[in-house]
Amino acid sequence: MRRAAWLLVLAALYAACIAVVQPDLPRLWAGLPRLAHWLAGAFPPDFSGLPDLLRRAAETVAIATLGTSLAALLALPLALMAARPVAPIPALYHPARALLDALRGIDGFVFALIFVAAVGLGPFAGMLGVALHSAGSIAKLWSEALETADPAPVEAALSAGGSRAQAAAVILLPETLPQTLSALLYVWEFNIRASTVLGLVGAGGLGQELKNAVDLLDFARVLAILIIVIALVLAADRLSATLRRRLA
Amino acid sequence: MLETRRGLVLRGLDLSLSGQRVLHAVSLEVAPGEVVALEGPSGAGKTSLLRAAAGLLPCGGTILADGGHPALVFQQHALAGRLSAQENVLVGALGRLGFWRPALGLWPAAEVAAAEGCLARVGLAGLGDRRAAHLSGGQRQRVAIARALLQRARVLLADEPVASLDPKNAEAILTLLRHLAGQEGLAILVSLHQPDLARRFADRRLRIEGGRLWET
Repeated sequence: MRRAAWLLVLAALYAACIAVVQPDLPRLWAGLPRLAHWLAGAFPPDFSGLPDLLRRAAETVAIATLGTSLAALLALPLALMAARPVAPIPALYHPARALLDALRGIDGFVFALIFVAAVGLGPFAGMLGVALHSAGSIAKLWSEALETADPAPVEAALSAGGSRAQAAAVILLPETLPQTLSALLYVWEFNIRASTVLGLVGAGGLGQELKNAVDLLDFARVLAILIIVIALVLAADRLSATLRRRLA
Repeated sequence: MLETRRGLVLRGLDLSLSGQRVLHAVSLEVAPGEVVALEGPSGAGKTSLLRAAAGLLPCGGTILADGGHPALVFQQHALAGRLSAQENVLVGALGRLGFWRPALGLWPAAEVAAAEGCLARVGLAGLGDRRAAHLSGGQRQRVAIARALLQRARVLLADEPVASLDPKNAEAILTLLRHLAGQEGLAILVSLHQPDLARRFADRRLRIEGGRLWET
């Protein structure tokens, strides 16, 4: 009976989703020849002006790296305020958690869109967008690492007359370094992926080239850019995985 | 916490945790140079009494301690595994230092020298650079005692300091505590599970049951 009720709820959910999205197979079918035509036109990929593409790729890496670093600086006080055993001002625990949930809840893409309006086009807006969104993610991961760390050494520091801030800085941060660095690398790797599309809103990086090529229906160029994106993401993925393995 | 020249004096300690009374007007004294064993079954209130006396649990009654504040040696040594033995001992100095120097690892030279001195007093001279996680169980407990010594306390409270050690290491740690009481005049209250060790190493034995204290 219970199972039947659950199935009914699930079916209703899918029915509602289908009503909203209105999937249309005939439309997809009609569009397939166009896709095939574009795909055929994408070969061979157009790598002309490679230095420009590589500069854009470097921009993507720079946006992710600086954005993640700035996010880490913002995340450190937030993580400490949002970690129960060390929160220096317990009354700020819930507001701090709400703030980092809000930062996490808004995608870097949306933040970048807002910053493009505020500081103009280019990678700077992208970096700010990445930083704000990631600050929430990093602070959340860090506060969880701090909360699950062994509380006994912290208690020993408190019983020796140390403050919570001292205990956090002297004991908890070094003790949780493998987890916090690993989280940082994970977010950086994620940001490399995310930064490849920031150009779509004018926030620099490879996405900008991608948008130009799509607008011109230049699919050989699109393919060349996608190959670079995949190589970049795989390289970041491998590097991050290797470093995280060493930290474990 | 008031200072006294009589080691440790507890008067009428009352403690309730989650609405449950765990200490009933506990009074005891430990003289300088004396080792007093605290015995009793699990859940009798040994840990609560020691934590209350160390100021970690707010309780009713009076706590008078020579040197201002008793230092607590925790049951499972409570060391930070990634920190060196010396850094763990230096945690004992946090109460008299500001935030930035310890946070940046720039410990005052005098405190570093004092920490090395404490490590030597517990028989770990030359092991200051070793990570706590790489020390043996007995060595870790010695580091925990050195950390308590760096607090410059004249009263040591030790919560089952040998519970996780093999018999040989347990004897060595209790010999060290005896030595610190005898040679340096510390007042030591130590909870123990093993009656034979209590008989051999303590000057006096107290028994706690249901939060009430009895002299044995």
